[in-house]
Amino acid sequence: MKKKISLALTSVVMLTILAACGGNNTNTNANTTTNKPATNETATNKPENGGTEEAAKITGEVIFLTNRTDMIDKQYVDYEKRFEDKYPGVDLKFEAITDYDKTLKIRIASGDFPDVVFTPTIPNAELPNYFAPLDDIAFSGDIHFKDLKAQEGKMYGISSGGSTVGIVYNKKAFEKAGITALPKTYDEFIAASQKLKDAGIVPLASNFKDKWPLDVWTYDIPTLIAGASDHQNKRAETDTPYTLDNEYGKSWSIIRELHTKGFLEADVNSTNWEQSKKDVASGKFGMYLLGNWVINQVIENGATSEDVGFFPFPVDNSGEAKAPLNPDFFYAVNKNGNVEAAKAFVHWMIEESGYDDFAGFIPTLKAKEPKLPQLAEFNTFNPKFFEPAAPVDAATEIQNKAQLDQAAVVQEFVLAKDPQKVLDKVNTAWAKAKKDLGL
Amino acid sequence: MFSRLSFKTQKNYVIIGFVALPLLLLLTFAYYPALELIRLSFTSWDGLSPNKPWIGWSNYKEVFENPAIFGVFKHNFAYFAVGIVQNIAAIYFAVVLNSKLKGKNFFRLLLFLPYILNGVAVAYLFGYVFDTTNGSLNYLLGQLGFDALSKTSWLGNGTFVNYTLASIGFWRFMGFNMVIYLAALQSIPNDIYEAASIDGANGWQKFISITLPNIYKIIELNLFLTVTGALEVFDLPYILTKGGPAGGSETFVMKIVETAFQFNNYGLASAMSVVLLLFVVIVLSIQRFLLKGKGE
Repeated sequence: MKKKISLALTSVVMLTILAACGGNNTNTNANTTTNKPATNETATNKPENGGTEEAAKITGEVIFLTNRTDMIDKQYVDYEKRFEDKYPGVDLKFEAITDYDKTLKIRIASGDFPDVVFTPTIPNAELPNYFAPLDDIAFSGDIHFKDLKAQEGKMYGISSGGSTVGIVYNKKAFEKAGITALPKTYDEFIAASQKLKDAGIVPLASNFKDKWPLDVWTYDIPTLIAGASDHQNKRAETDTPYTLDNEYGKSWSIIRELHTKGFLEADVNSTNWEQSKKDVASGKFGMYLLGNWVINQVIENGATSEDVGFFPFPVDNSGEAKAPLNPDFFYAVNKNGNVEAAKAFVHWMIEESGYDDFAGFIPTLKAKEPKLPQLAEFNTFNPKFFEPAAPVDAATEIQNKAQLDQAAVVQEFVLAKDPQKVLDKVNTAWAKAKKDLGL
Repeated sequence: MFSRLSFKTQKNYVIIGFVALPLLLLLTFAYYPALELIRLSFTSWDGLSPNKPWIGWSNYKEVFENPAIFGVFKHNFAYFAVGIVQNIAAIYFAVVLNSKLKGKNFFRLLLFLPYILNGVAVAYLFGYVFDTTNGSLNYLLGQLGFDALSKTSWLGNGTFVNYTLASIGFWRFMGFNMVIYLAALQSIPNDIYEAASIDGANGWQKFISITLPNIYKIIELNLFLTVTGALEVFDLPYILTKGGPAGGSETFVMKIVETAFQFNNYGLASAMSVVLLLFVVIVLSIQRFLLKGKGE
């Protein structure tokens, strides 16, 4: 009898605990599935603390999930003080994580995430499920990248800043190699690279092994070659998006040529990103083809600001300067969080924090001039800027279905004996995925 | 309240109380996620959306039909091959360090230390060793006069990059295997060896006829660890080569991570994980079948 009682007792304990798990589950599910914006119970909870005061007064706690672990306990302390001076009712907190995208997605899936985050890599159609529209934030002027994180006419993400891509170079290295005029055409660029190589300098640091530095060859250089930024979207319309004579083939052939001519690192499969910054700073490496964000990092690694220059990459022999204008991470506001205070924070970050200057961005506000001297130098070339096209989900879907890692394809393309075979393989996978999805 | 219960009941309460907690932890953190994994493997969940569409067996079909997914298992072979050598070396060192040797505790510590190091730190460490232009290994080879060898791209050559990576695993886990073997060796009673010595057996005979049979179970255990380790390599290639050159060192677990977190295909990734689990079970069954009865 007593045995039975104890058995019953334990099973009750187990059941209640399991039931508790189950209950939680359904709750979070319900939370994420409701599409009603900001009116459900969890959302009104927080602002109600100050509901007796004026409605205009913004109060409550705001948590900003950031990827800048290096700014915690440094710049963010100052940000918090300045922001809370302006909005005394708000308690601003920072939470920094690494591996941002993966971690954030998991937290979003769990149904509970901070008030202000950077948009994760999800289709735009899903943005309204998690985030509040931000159209009513009153900026002092027009802003860049309005349409990139928009869905059905509403804006869900505001870029924290912009960047462009070009050649970041060490002026001393160029001097040593005897390069007097910056290359304005592709042929001049090759000639300059040859001069650098002859002077014992590695012309271009590709950081080939790390994959992500190769993204420029997939996103930015094709934009410049095609003269249009929607090439990634257009892939959805064809079974053979990668051919030798289209923008991808041309772009990848450039880095292939640089590799065969020995203008990249001695062994591209054994590159070291952290070391490369020091080497560009010291003049052992001549150039980077990367975003302007790298300029500050080269300076941090020992170069003086005067020694680092920046010019548009000449993709052809036309002599016309072209450059992409890319957004950085987008701020987004949790629709179930403290929306009002979060919006105030986003507004403050864009207009007053000075984060864009600190990070070396091109400011999101169109009227604001970038502070970085290298960007001013870049602008003297009068480049034609290309803002990215709003992404089309179909192309992303096919790419994910085909398990296509474009940076890995660039690697294969450069290393392969026969690049055409690499393209054939990728195109076959693409066509199959496209068919399977019925697109 | 408890004092009025009989001793037997009290005992039962204590037993249940002690067993319930670990069981509960086991169920919530091992079995529940495992079952959830199996459930997800039949869906096409994107990792985010609240609905998880059921798609039956098609994820499993994809795993086996797509050579880009299943084919990476051949990269794991290198780890397995090096793992065998690693076990032989571990037995050798265990036997040597079990004998009367000056400073044997120091050598044991020396060989075991790499195991304590964090895997990511080890990977970065060897990044500097195997670097082609600035690496210490190539520098050493150059100083020794092997000029041609000192230009080797250890991590950039598709034919042996996996062996390079596996050799790091050798360095790291050999000491761990050795410690397990050492423990087994120390449990062999000394009088057996003495009896064998009286009968005139030499060192090698003693090793074959006494040592090996006595540590057979432990060899099996170490092989088990080696095989699962070889099938589940992740941190070394992930940090050192990112799967390069051109996918030459990609392992199955890396593929799973990529599928889930880069391509947002959690369903397929779950199916791949289940397949990996089955694969481990199959390989181990084969191993057990081949070694069956030898240690009895």
